This record gives sequence, structure tokens and C-alpha cells, in this order.
Amino acid sequence: MELDPQITERRDYYRKKVIDGRALRNLVEAGLTWLRTNQEVVNALNVFPVPDGDTGTNMVLTMQAAYDEISNSEEISFSKTIQTIAHGALMGARGNSGVILSQIWRGFARAVDNIESLDSVAFAEGLVEARETAYKGVVRPVEGTILTVIKDISRAAEEAISETQDPIQLLEIIVRAADNSVEKTPELLDVLKDAGVVDAGGKGLYYILEGMLRYIDGLPLDKSAATVMPLSELFLDESMESIEPGQDWEVIVDFRLNGKLEINGFYSDLESMGTSIQFGEGDGFYRLHIHVPDENYYMPENYIKELGIVTKVAKENLVDQMDSRIRANLKAEPVLSPVEPGNIGVVAVVPGSGIAKIFASMGVAAIVEGGQTMNPSTEEIISRFDNLPTDKIIILPNNKNILMAAKNAAEFSKKQVAVIPTRTIPQGLNAMLRLVPDGDFDKIVSEMNEAISEVETGEITTSTRTVEIDGVKANKGNFIALLNGKMVAATESLEKSCLALLEHASACDYELITFFYGDNITQEEASLIVNIIRKKYPEHVIEMHEGCQPHYQFIIAIE
Amino acid sequence: MLKTAIVTDSTADIPDETINKYNIQVNPNILIIENQNFRDGIDLSRNEFYELLPSLKNPPTTATASSGSYQQIYEDLLNHGYDQIVSLHVSKQFSGVLNAASTAAQIFKNRVYVIDSKSVSMGLGFQVIESARTAHDTGDIIKIINRIEVLQPRIRLCAMLDTLEYLHRSGRVSWARARIGNLLRVKTFIEVKDGQARRIEDVRTRRKGFERLLNFLRSYEPLERLAILHSNAEDEAKKFLEAYSNNLKEDPIIVNVTTTIGTHVGPKGLGFAVVLK
Repeated sequence: MELDPQITERRDYYRKKVIDGRALRNLVEAGLTWLRTNQEVVNALNVFPVPDGDTGTNMVLTMQAAYDEISNSEEISFSKTIQTIAHGALMGARGNSGVILSQIWRGFARAVDNIESLDSVAFAEGLVEARETAYKGVVRPVEGTILTVIKDISRAAEEAISETQDPIQLLEIIVRAADNSVEKTPELLDVLKDAGVVDAGGKGLYYILEGMLRYIDGLPLDKSAATVMPLSELFLDESMESIEPGQDWEVIVDFRLNGKLEINGFYSDLESMGTSIQFGEGDGFYRLHIHVPDENYYMPENYIKELGIVTKVAKENLVDQMDSRIRANLKAEPVLSPVEPGNIGVVAVVPGSGIAKIFASMGVAAIVEGGQTMNPSTEEIISRFDNLPTDKIIILPNNKNILMAAKNAAEFSKKQVAVIPTRTIPQGLNAMLRLVPDGDFDKIVSEMNEAISEVETGEITTSTRTVEIDGVKANKGNFIALLNGKMVAATESLEKSCLALLEHASACDYELITFFYGDNITQEEASLIVNIIRKKYPEHVIEMHEGCQPHYQFIIAIE
Repeated sequence: MLKTAIVTDSTADIPDETINKYNIQVNPNILIIENQNFRDGIDLSRNEFYELLPSLKNPPTTATASSGSYQQIYEDLLNHGYDQIVSLHVSKQFSGVLNAASTAAQIFKNRVYVIDSKSVSMGLGFQVIESARTAHDTGDIIKIINRIEVLQPRIRLCAMLDTLEYLHRSGRVSWARARIGNLLRVKTFIEVKDGQARRIEDVRTRRKGFERLLNFLRSYEPLERLAILHSNAEDEAKKFLEAYSNNLKEDPIIVNVTTTIGTHVGPKGLGFAVVLK
């Protein structure tokens, strides 16, 4: 393959350089940046027509957490740097893909545990160990996912090592191997084939590696990662509770300069426009962050246009954002039960405030709000139970995307932590019924594990795309019904889908049906449907509760 | 041979035939419904009570028989051929009966022994029946007391309550207040051990509760004695006994618990009392 002479030149230049801690930092930053640039591409690949698991976002957050650990470091040792990266990735890991990604880093770090700089042999060994660790971290490894990609690239590296000693050539080889592997994932996983997409996690891994190669080749990454927090993290900053007047819009301008910048004049000019000014410098790229009042909506970008080339402008309505936070806070906080020292404390991950209140009423000691995407990090989970006055902790993840982060939290905490593999809210609630706070830990854990299979879970949501899954065709906008995670029906009406779900679940064989309605449906609408169900199943006890969960109009427990 | 009388209160839930067979003296507790007093098991039948319950504006309450009434009973027995008395009662955690009996017993120094059964319903009942048998066979009070001491640790009582509301209102179980806040409707399992009522777990459906109750019963095997207890749930109690295939020397009995217990646990309760082998 004929390479652009410029690229060849750059590669020769980088070949002479040592791949030490500093080089690794630049490479990680590049991988993160390129992944972030393509974040939405990865998100859109999420097969399931429900936006409740954003692979791209999860992997970016994981990589950002990893990068944050080393961004200010001056460490020269490759192995010390990568160990810190692995630790950061682990603590910030979100979602299944994020956690597996962190395992990949961890495995790699383990294999290269005492080197100042990376050579091709260590590179290959690192990838092999990364593969091993990633697979080991998954109880039931599924092919056609990020696991397959790490497997394929480690094999490609093993083969290539006999032919070349050049780490950069090796990187090129594995990037190509990753690309091929990702393209083949639909052949390994039916769900992907049915939806006509490749695996999102695998694609994310590919972007990270490709980003590193692009950095070496001098190709654009489109955004600088060397600046302050990414937009999404600003949302998480709770200090936004009290916003000063004049802060209507958050404006972020990315640009390149035409000449040198006179910093003092620059800052004072900006200060006349707005507040909360942050300015970051990267490799020839700059990013300006500023809050402006409504009347200064266009000022920052117009100002910058006179100094250089604006490459991107992003704006966020702060007032609206704050209003929704205030509205959210107005709803009463769930009251958690204090844990007696030495008793068992349960941590539940919940998707909505209504469900949080129910778990709280049953005696959980701590709650993790899963948010729109249900992807709390390992660190977030640990932080909820670290301060409880007991060493006996039980985690209820209540979502399959959170299982791994929960297991990680269990592994990394010094406390005695058990994870009950609840995949749905009804399973989590059922497990909670078995809690005896002063009971024997192992016995309670075993009982909770048993309780999982004692309830059937139904979920009703709106399909965001036209798909065929599990043999069921759904058009965009249809209400789809899932029974224990499997799609069983798709209809144009909420009522029809609920009835279909109950049929598929053989609800007539059970005695209690509980509806938790979400934040995308009103109480009146929910009541109307529940009453229809009551008429259809007059012998059953039917309960309705406000769940406030996003995405799912109904979560249904059948028992 | 000395003659020893056995006295208890109405929470013992002993079947009438057994009471008559061994001449057990039962001093009834008091049920108070809208300011009217009813002697437990005498003035108001269980059926009448459960029929009345849903329509009552104020929940019924209970009271113990007076110390004076115990004194009367002890005096009568001692004057009519009995040399000593064993007076066995419901756990002092649940009721003031023990106090009333103890106060009365003081006058009769060393002739009346008041004992805390550390249980209730047939948990108390089994101890009373055993004492009565031993009294009938030997009259020896030391033997009777030994028998009770050996028996007590082998007694278990477990029940599924349809709701915690009644227990909470009874004020006798402090944790019931905390658990009442559960937003989901649940049925709670309690276990009576060492005189205290302890919550074991919750279930959402009766069917599940039935299953769990069976499991709990089986977990106590091997059994020497079994009594199925219920509060106005006779059919279910029968089904439960059928479902539990057993091989006990002494036939299990089904007991509709007395109204003073019914007041505190509510209707549709289902459980059992056992003596472990």
C-alpha cells in the first residue's frame, strides 16, 4: 500500500522516538479525541432501539477518566503511566463496553509491568494479555463484540511479530485488523445482522486505535482533548444549582489562530462579554469556554473570527437546564434507611425517582441514580456504600448494562460485597423482599439470588428505529413489548402492547401484576391503561406505582 | 401423689377437648370492642369477630385478665384438692398477663409457679399440654418444670401475616412501624423465638407465601409436634396441611387463633407452631 510521503516522513520521525510515558500520554489523548469526535457514530450503532445504553458515551467517559489520571503527569516510565491509565479507566468505567475497555487496559498494563519504553515484542505481549484479561472479566463471553475485536487484533499482532520489529507498523497492522474484525461482527451475532449494524463496542475500540495512528500520521482529530472538561461533565457539575444572572448560554468555541495571541487583551475583551471564562491550548488548537447573557449570543464566535479560524461552535441553554434541575429537585428525595453498624446494607441502582422511593421504602441503605443511560461508573457505585457503617454490602444493579461495573465495585472495595445479578427492576424488588438486615450474609445472598427467578419482567417502550428482532417486526414509533429482555410484540398502541405482553407472559397463571409508569406518560394515561388491564384480568391483583423511569412507559412485574 | 393444677390464659389456643381432658384452667384475656368488654373465646366467637372487624370504626384492643381474677383461680384450685399450681403464660413481650399472674401468685408462696412460655398461641399451648400430661402422670412439680425447660428451646412459631397494619397498631412490635412504610403491598413473615417476634422476609403474593411457609416448615424437620395456625383462613390452613406430607406420631391440629391474637395479627394470617425433635 502506497503511503502518502508526508505520512511516511512522520512515521520515520516517530520511529526514532522512544515510546515512553510521554508518548503514551499523547497517544491516549489522541485515541480519546478521535473516539469523542466519533462518539455519536458509535452511539447510533447501539442495536437496541432504545437509547438507554450509549456505548460511545460510555467509552468516551471511560477513556476520559483514564486520561484525567495522567494528563498532568510528568512520568517518563511507560509501565508506570499505563498502570495509572488502567486504574483511571477502571474507576471511571461505565457500561459493559467501558468496563471491558478498562480490562483491556488492565491486561496490557500487567504484561508490560516493568518497562521504561515500549517495543514491538512488548506491544504484542500486551495485546495478548489484554485479550486474556478482557475475556476473563466476562462470565459469558459473546462473540461479535468488542471481545472479538481485541481477540483478532492480538492474534494479528502475534502473527506479525515474526515479520516486523517496528511498533508503528504493528499499530498499523492492528488498526487494519480491528477494522476487519468490526466489519465481520454481524456474521457472529444475529442481533447485529438483523439490525444491519456492526458492534458498537468493537467500533469504539477501533476508533481509539485509529486515533493513535492518525496522531502519528498527522491527520486531523477534529477536536482538542487538551483542554478543560468535556461538555457532558459540565452537566454533572452540581455547582450549577445557583447560576449567576447573565449566564444564559454556555458557548464553546474551537479555533486556530492566525498569529500570536495577546493574552491580557484577549481576556479583558472576553470579560466584557461574559463570565466563567476558560481557555485551553492544544497542539495548534484552542478552545474557549464562556457563559454569556442572551444579548451576547453571537459575540464570542464573532470576536474569535477576527483572530483566527473558528472550527466549531457549541452552545447550551443554561437557563433551561437549570429549570429542569430545579424541577427535579422539587420532587421529594427518597428517605433511606440508616444501617445499623454491622448489619447488611443494600445498594440499589435505579432509573427513576419513583422507583428510588419504592426501594427506599423497602429498606435500601443507598441508591445510585442510573440517569438517562443507566451507566454509573464503578467509582460512583463504590462511593455510595464506602461510608456506610458496615462491611456487609449487597448491590442490586437492576440492569444488565450495570452488572460489570457492579462486579468491579465489589472486587475493588475492601468491604464484603456481593452482587445479586438482577437485570430488571422487578427482579431487584423481589430480591429486596428477602432482606433481613441482621441476618446471615451468605444466607441472605443465596435467598436473593433465588428470588430473581420468581418474577417475570415486562417492559414497554417506543421503538426509535424500524427493526426486526427476535422474530418480531417493529416500525419506528411502535410501542414494543419486552418480556424478560426479549422482544415479544410491537403495536401502534400502548394498550395493545401491554395486553400482548401479558398474553406472552401467560399472566393468567399468575396472581399479581404491578405497573410502574415512566416519565414519558402521564398518571391519567397510565391509569386508563391499567383499568383496561383490570377488566381483562378481574381475578388478579393489579397495582400501579409512579416509577418516573425514562424511556419505558411501563415496567411490569408479573408474579 | 401430689396433685398439680395447670393454669394458662386464652392465648394458648388449646382445643377444647384437650382442655377438658386434662382439666386445664384457662383464664380468658379481654377483647374490647367499642367500649364493650368480651371474654376471649367465650363472649364472642371467632366467626362473629372476623365478620365484625371490617365494619368497626375504631380498631379493637385487648386487655389482660385482672390480677384479682388470677388470685381467685389459684385460691379455688388450692382449696379444691390441688397442692400446687403451674401457671404458664404468653411471653411478657407481648402481653401484661405474666405480670398479672405473678402478682397474684405472690400470696401463695411456693405453691404457685408462674412461668413465661416465651411464646404465644400453640407455642404456649404445647408447653401447657405437656405440663398437663406430666401433672396427670406424676403430679410432680419439679418434673413439670424440668419438662418445660427442656421443651421451650425446641419450640418454634412462624407465620405469614396478610398485612402488618394490625401488628403495627398493636404497638407490641416496634419494628412494625418502620416496615409499614413499604410502598409495595407485601405479606410479612414473622418468627417467634425466645419470646420475641422477628421479621424474616416479605413476599408479594399469597401463592409465594404459601410456598415459603412450606419451606420454612420443612426446614425445621424432624418434628415432634405440629399445629397449623390461622386467623380466619380455615380453607387455606387445610390446604397447607395437605401440602405438607408428614409422618408425625401425633396428628397435627389446625387452630383458628383466638380473637385477642386475631386483633393483633389481622385476618388471613397463616402459620404454624412446632416442637422440634
